[in-house]
Amino acid sequence: MASNDRVRVRGLSIYRPIIYGNTSVVLTQEEREALGSPDHTHRWTVAVRSAASAPNSDIVGGADDLSYFIKRVTFKLHDTYPNPTRNIDKPPFEVTETGWGEFEIQIRITFVPESGEKAVTIYHHLKLHPWSAVGSGEPEIPPLEAAMKMGPVHSWQYDEIVFNDPFQSFLNILLAHPPTPLPRTKRRPVPFHTANPASLEASKGGVPEFTQAMEKEEAERLENARKQVIAEQDRWREKLIEKEHELERLRKQIGPS
Amino acid sequence: MAGASAADVRSILSLPNPSTAGPSQPRKPAVPAERARKPEGISRELYSLIGPSVPSLAAQLAKPRLKQKPNLGGGGRVKWEWRSFKNGARSDGFELSHWAKAGSDPNAEYPFAKYNVQTTSYVYSQEEYARLLEDAEWTKEETDYLFNLVREYDSRFHVVYDRYEYPSGPQRTLEDLKDRYFSVCRKLVRDRPWAGDEASKNQLLSSLQFDKERETTRKKYVTSLEDRTPEQVAEEDALFVELQRLEQNERRFKRDRDELLRTLLGIESGLPDVQVDEEGLNGAPQESKKRKRGGNAGADLDTPVSASPSVIALGPAIPKKAQSAKNAAFDAQNCIIRTEVPATTSSSTKVAHQPVYLRSYKLPTPKMTAAPKVAQVLGELGISHTRLVMPTRENCAQLEFLLEAGAALVETKKSVDKIEQDIRIAKARLDNRQSEDADGEGTGDAAPTPMDVDEVNDADADAEGEVDGRAQSVMSTRSTRSARGRRSV
Repeated sequence: MASNDRVRVRGLSIYRPIIYGNTSVVLTQEEREALGSPDHTHRWTVAVRSAASAPNSDIVGGADDLSYFIKRVTFKLHDTYPNPTRNIDKPPFEVTETGWGEFEIQIRITFVPESGEKAVTIYHHLKLHPWSAVGSGEPEIPPLEAAMKMGPVHSWQYDEIVFNDPFQSFLNILLAHPPTPLPRTKRRPVPFHTANPASLEASKGGVPEFTQAMEKEEAERLENARKQVIAEQDRWREKLIEKEHELERLRKQIGPS
Repeated sequence: MAGASAADVRSILSLPNPSTAGPSQPRKPAVPAERARKPEGISRELYSLIGPSVPSLAAQLAKPRLKQKPNLGGGGRVKWEWRSFKNGARSDGFELSHWAKAGSDPNAEYPFAKYNVQTTSYVYSQEEYARLLEDAEWTKEETDYLFNLVREYDSRFHVVYDRYEYPSGPQRTLEDLKDRYFSVCRKLVRDRPWAGDEASKNQLLSSLQFDKERETTRKKYVTSLEDRTPEQVAEEDALFVELQRLEQNERRFKRDRDELLRTLLGIESGLPDVQVDEEGLNGAPQESKKRKRGGNAGADLDTPVSASPSVIALGPAIPKKAQSAKNAAFDAQNCIIRTEVPATTSSSTKVAHQPVYLRSYKLPTPKMTAAPKVAQVLGELGISHTRLVMPTRENCAQLEFLLEAGAALVETKKSVDKIEQDIRIAKARLDNRQSEDADGEGTGDAAPTPMDVDEVNDADADAEGEVDGRAQSVMSTRSTRSARGRRSV
């Protein structure tokens, strides 16, 4: 490695969009019987992938191979699983298991040595049961037969890995692999997210996909909320000023103390 | 009296009309068409004055043919009708009528309504004043007074200055007033959460810019310019002419010298062959000034005068390092964000390096004290402040603005609660006072209107006591007070 490669490029940050999360399907009776542990009801896959989906693929995201900057992904499963710490050194960075319960999975992403960066840790709540609207009256965990009809459950979180002032050599690696941009418009269902409960309806009916439209939609939601807050704030400020005047009047009436 | 015709003259002189026969005479045959037609080149009025006996020469004196008048699409007559209209700028719905072209849309908005631009009036709360607007030169009362005047007179500062009469305040100049007003507005705009984007905020801020120092110097300068005596003006003019003459001489000398050098040395002189345009220096500035003025006048006609004071609004400063579109596209493709590198080299140490992180790690969080309430506000709006669907850079920034706005809202609500509490206390005090007055009347002694000082202090002390010991009921305070009142009497 040339010495000038170990120079940090200042004033530059470069990020890579990723998604992490899981997909789960309900097992059929035959599958359950074939399995060693008959109490397992779901097969799930937890994964770290690139955000954009490959055309016509049946998985969420994963258009790009992330191994150019990710060396290893460690999934720490529930302690009841045999050797719960799973190290995945080659893409696809994912673990497929069966089980019956939801739990928190620790995901640790280790970067390639060129990056000179420490690993980052994220947490994902394994989601097995279908999403339901809050307060809709539907049972939170529907019976298995109903869940089976509803199809696979997707729970994915978009995020961006930001490298600040990267080494020149690492930057070169990253530049050699520009990420596939997210599609501009919605072509497939929207990945459901608890931060946007309104997207539940749009999330149904197939393998979801992350799009730029989602980002815009969220920006608009945030901005609208901000405008509402500011309008509210203006109202309250007016009220405050009015009240202050009233107080002043009253104090004058009371006279000098 | 340009249109007097031959017939008019005849009728004035009571001469018989030659063309129309008397009623008794037999009717002459109709005037031949060729005679009735006026020859080319004679105006109609002249022809009707001199009658058909046209001097043959006149026909030759054909008037010079001018360009045909352009047909401005008028053609037929325009029909106008008397129509009532509503002025959208009025709030009282008052209707007036005016003449409008028959073809125009009767429901169209009144076109002059847009010129009624409302100035945004700024108000501030006690808390904002204490936090931002304190000024040694100004009291809050005087600032309030200034803002009321500005609102009343619609930001017409000359009127405001004229009416400005704050009792026991120092003498203020027009610049003092403007300076105070605009500086307060600027601070408010800067401090409050902004609903629009950054550029519009900057534009508003720059429109609220006021440089008192510069304005004073400018006025001083204009005054001194106005105060010159005729002799001084004449002297100045003479000097200016002299200066121009000198400059011209200078240029001529230079030209001559260059010419000489060129002839003597030829190409070796190193002087360009092209002559410097000597007109450029004198002609251009005036020309451009004229053009600018004309352009401004044209532009002003249609754009409504902005509500903000007419200081030249500068757009957002053009970034020094203008990135080419290609670079930007490259950065976007590779997800690169460039920031200005601080000039100091201290950041080159390894300690300062910010390690890799996930964007969602850096989600902004509200201040601890206000956090639950801010979260509640956002929750009502359907926003979760802890998670974003797409935590991109822009959305994180948006969330941060939102949180700021939410925190400000919570803060304002808190102040309102506090003030309401104060108002309740003040009201209770007043009620006490009134009931006491009523008591006084009931016993028949102590005239209610002129309150003596002792009693006021008494009442205050009581009210204070009530604030401290809220458990004490109003009835009991009243009874103790009346007892005390009797004792004092």
